Amino acid sequence: MKFFDLLRLVITNLNRRKARVGLTAIGVVIGTGAVVILVSLAIGLQMNANEQLYGIGDLSQIYVYPAYGGGGEVFISPRGGGGGGGGTQDIKLLTNSALQELGALPSVVAVIPREFLQANSVISYKKLQTYTGMFGVGTNDLADFGLKAEQGTTQLSRSTIVIGSRVAQNFMDFNLRPGQEPPPPPDLYDQQIQLTIFKYDDQGNEIRKNYSFRVAGVLSEAGSEADYSIYLPLEQVKVMNEWANNTRINYNKTGYNEVIVKVENPDKTLEVRDQIIALGFQANTMLDFVQGINNFYQILQVVLGGVGAIALLVAAIGIANTMAMSILERTREIGLMKAVGATNRDVLSLFLGEAAGIGFIGGLGGVLVGWLLGQMLNVVAIVYLAQQAAQQGGIPPSVAVYTPIWLPIFVLAFSTFIGMLSGLYPALRAATMIPVLALKYE
Amino acid sequence: MGGTTVRALDGVDIEIPEHTFTVVMGPSGSGKSSLLYLLGGLDRPTAGEIIVNGQRLDLMDENALALFRRKTMGFIFQSFNLVSSMSALENVAFPMQFAGITASQRNEKSKVLLTQVGLADRSDHKPSELSGGQQQRVAVARALINDPLLILADEPTGNLDSQSGTTVMQMLADLHKAGRTVLVVTHDARMTRFATHKIFLLDGRVVSEAEYQSAALQPLQP
Ligand SMILES: Nc1ncnc2c1ncn2[C@@H]1O[C@H](COP(=O)(O)OP(=O)(O)O)[C@@H](O)[C@H]1O
Ligand SMILES: [Mg+2]
Repeated sequence: MKFFDLLRLVITNLNRRKARVGLTAIGVVIGTGAVVILVSLAIGLQMNANEQLYGIGDLSQIYVYPAYGGGGEVFISPRGGGGGGGGTQDIKLLTNSALQELGALPSVVAVIPREFLQANSVISYKKLQTYTGMFGVGTNDLADFGLKAEQGTTQLSRSTIVIGSRVAQNFMDFNLRPGQEPPPPPDLYDQQIQLTIFKYDDQGNEIRKNYSFRVAGVLSEAGSEADYSIYLPLEQVKVMNEWANNTRINYNKTGYNEVIVKVENPDKTLEVRDQIIALGFQANTMLDFVQGINNFYQILQVVLGGVGAIALLVAAIGIANTMAMSILERTREIGLMKAVGATNRDVLSLFLGEAAGIGFIGGLGGVLVGWLLGQMLNVVAIVYLAQQAAQQGGIPPSVAVYTPIWLPIFVLAFSTFIGMLSGLYPALRAATMIPVLALKYE
Repeated sequence: MGGTTVRALDGVDIEIPEHTFTVVMGPSGSGKSSLLYLLGGLDRPTAGEIIVNGQRLDLMDENALALFRRKTMGFIFQSFNLVSSMSALENVAFPMQFAGITASQRNEKSKVLLTQVGLADRSDHKPSELSGGQQQRVAVARALINDPLLILADEPTGNLDSQSGTTVMQMLADLHKAGRTVLVVTHDARMTRFATHKIFLLDGRVVSEAEYQSAALQPLQP
């Protein structure tokens, strides 16, 4: 029997019993609809989470730290071992030669050391103060981090600073009395900002040191820690740290505390991360974090999909029942088919086809219903979430329920398969009927 | 059901020559249908041999039997067995689907056959819109669609009024004249006038015409 003839016969036969097929398919509609909407919801949540994470850090950046042997440090090494010689050399410091080693790795476009200001400090502008973190970076252009300037420049030089987009909002008047209206955030661009760092002598007396910097640039919103950071040249921070901690720092001996390795694109990040770990350093990326979150949402998808699948299981029992009844009613027809030369395989294909057809029709309905409900939910949820975001100052979500193209295709294939599976037993019974008994059946 | 064994046919040894019109006579329950279904490869004997066109049906597997029925057999049933959802034309064409013949060829041949049985104007009608006699004529056309070697009819006139019955019998007789081998099962004595060969069955045994007649004349056992 030709496939097209089989298909036509299946459609004719399903058409014959519209009401029953329809009612059975409704079960499948509910099951597949549930799968579509629940999985779409999980995917939407995941996209949402990723959207919030986007800019949590540049995904093409790898944060590299010195590795202090097999001590208390958590040493993540998927490659294991660490190669020859690594065993005796316990400490792998981020010295300048190490930086060269990192820079030589394929796909690496920049290797930039970064140091925190390790001192008690206050940053002030007129009556306003803040305690924002200050970074010294080993580059004279923040564009190397992929940062852009909203105002001024990304270039760093002596006695100028570049500030993140939200730094100005963090300047506060600490002498404000309760109930008093806080002043609007100042426009700091091209303004002079005072930095005071403190240390204490042996007698416990406070010693201060004052600096004045001009804000040479305000960065565009990056959605990351950069928004809350103040950037200085590395040398500057080194001098301050030396003064505050009464030490001399020789990076060639002690190494840097942190180095940021930037790769040419995020696809290479994990590969380079592994290579850096293989060199004996500690390294992590925001991608690990994002992947952890993605794993969570993938599990959520499976769980929610499973919930929908249970509804589909109930529908499958419905299909099996409908097919069993239909085969009983059409016993003589089966006998006739066999009498006129249908093979067992033809009969099996026909009834499997009809069962699969019910699954397909139901799946089609379910995909449609699930998708429509998802879209409706989207409209409602986005409005709600946007309000929430407005109140709490987050990024408003652009999507709540998302149905990727593979989902309806998969669900449709799955429901068709489930239909076929539920029809298997009745269809096998039909196919193996003894022709003469089927023909005589009343 | 239960444990009793019914011998529907016992010790039947018959030969049906080609191009004959054979009528199988017998009272209800004598095994006529059983004989027909065995010959048609729709049933299997518990013992014995069935040879049709040189092929041992009793040794064939299911698939081979299906192919055998498709190529060699045309069945006509007492209750027509048309598919109620299909038109007359579709019913006639139905067996050809399993043979994998294209739709246009099926259509063409079915139209020719419907015309032959005088129902060209009814090709779009559903069985429920046809009289019993017309339905059985559709079934005759269907039996011919695969050009069978042997046409087997199980009480083809059993559900028909006598006029329609005669039309159908005449049709079968014409098929025989056209060179086909026809076997008709009936308990209607009037049908024997078309026969070239007769087989009489009593309780699953083949008997002579004389024995059959005398049995028929005997009063029913109390
Ligand atoms: N499937 C069956 N199971 C058991 N007995 C059957 C079956 N089919 C027919 N019989 C019995 O076999 C005998 C012959 O039946 P059948 O060939 O249908 O007779 P006829 O067609 O001459 O009326 C009857 O006694 C009938 O009861
Ligand atoms: Mg009978």
